[in-house]
Amino acid sequence: MTHATHVSTAPPYKMGLAIPNGKLGMWLFLGTEIMFFTAFIGSYIVLRIGSPGWPTDPEVTHIRVTAGAINTFVLILSSYFVVLAHESMARRQYKKATTWVTLTLALAVVFLGIKSYEYYGKFDHGILPGKVPETHQQALEQLVTKLEAASGVLALEDQRTELENRRAETTGDTAAIDAQLQQVNEEIEKRRPLRQEYMPLAERVSANREESPATVGTTIALYHEAEKQLHALEEKHPTVFAGVHMPHPIPYGNLFASTYFLMTGFHAIHVIVGMLMFAIIMMKGYTGVLGANDAVLVENAGLYWHFVDLVWIFLFPLIYIL
Amino acid sequence: MADQHEHETHHVNYFAIFIALCVFTALSVLFDMMQSKFGKQILASLVLGVAACKATFVMLYFMHLKFEGGWKYVILAPTTVLAMAIPFALAPDIGYHYYSVQVPQTMIAGESAEADGHGDGAHDAGHGDAGKGHGAHGHDDHGHDTKKANPAPAPAPAPAERPQASAE
Repeated sequence: MTHATHVSTAPPYKMGLAIPNGKLGMWLFLGTEIMFFTAFIGSYIVLRIGSPGWPTDPEVTHIRVTAGAINTFVLILSSYFVVLAHESMARRQYKKATTWVTLTLALAVVFLGIKSYEYYGKFDHGILPGKVPETHQQALEQLVTKLEAASGVLALEDQRTELENRRAETTGDTAAIDAQLQQVNEEIEKRRPLRQEYMPLAERVSANREESPATVGTTIALYHEAEKQLHALEEKHPTVFAGVHMPHPIPYGNLFASTYFLMTGFHAIHVIVGMLMFAIIMMKGYTGVLGANDAVLVENAGLYWHFVDLVWIFLFPLIYIL
Repeated sequence: MADQHEHETHHVNYFAIFIALCVFTALSVLFDMMQSKFGKQILASLVLGVAACKATFVMLYFMHLKFEGGWKYVILAPTTVLAMAIPFALAPDIGYHYYSVQVPQTMIAGESAEADGHGDGAHDAGHGDAGKGHGAHGHDDHGHDTKKANPAPAPAPAPAERPQASAE
């Protein structure tokens, strides 16, 4: 007992670095994060260098510099607020710190709001990995798929098959199913003439699938012809085909979409994780338990947030400007 | 205790840093608007240079790296080196296609894989190997052997096919 008290009065023997363990842990984690993001960003740069004709036209990619610039500003401002929160913690002004953290969280919400609006634009225009036609033939095939979806005959036929199967399985009264079947059949008969109008084109597109360098000219001619046919269809049946747009071939469009969603998606996940950290600090702040012990927590959340900002600082020019 | 004290001693004008970051962001947007005045290459170096400046400001002041001890180098230097590994490893094949001008993304039907530049690469590699054989052994016959043996694993096009493949 006496021995133990004697030891405690001696100056503490300091092991390791002169920083809190939590902070060291955060920096080590950020070290792995640097490798994580450079793997994606580096691969993207290399892929772009190796892909002449990478889509950069905003009309094609639906990437708006303004949206990216506003989001850059939002993240920089939020980084500044985190610094102020950290400063307030050092001055033991916990109420002030809570306010700055709340503002940071609000800015993170703004960032994700703008980001999801941008994502919506991409989804809306079919800029998704595996959905972008890269050749005229692929564009033609996508057009046929869109026309089929617009006329709805194939979907109705699927519905009919399903109903017929259900009727075969039902042992009791089939009157309700029969009524439904009749309705579907009528709708199919009504829409079948629509399908007849583009079937010749669809068959030619399908026959053209055996594409070779020698037939590239034929494919492009067919593409322009299909464009005219689509206009004619739109004028004849505006209610059915007005929503069908001619797909344009975008070389490297799928690679573009993959890299775009990979980089911005993982960045957005990091934003969400940061928001969780701020939410914890905020809850501590508003319940009045935020204290001197939380200085490292706030500092770590801040370091992490600055890293998220740092990644965006590079994503902005690489994705939005170049 | 000493640590906390240290934090309060270095007075950084964080607001000035924030303004600098905003100015830099505006600058990259400005470069984007003026991109017709200079080429893509110059635009890339300008906006990435601006990004590097912004990153430096954030790391030095917002992340306090300027005021941290030597441990920052121990943690960050190996990470940076390792992070560079993937881009550098991918660059020769994916970025610069050192073996052919362009790698087609989709194989056009009716064209075999061998006739499509891939064979070309194999052929060139065959030549390179033969050359090595020369240097190492200084033996003419050996060099010829490798040349003949090489087309076997990756079927290289017959000489007559080559102009056709390169004409695409």
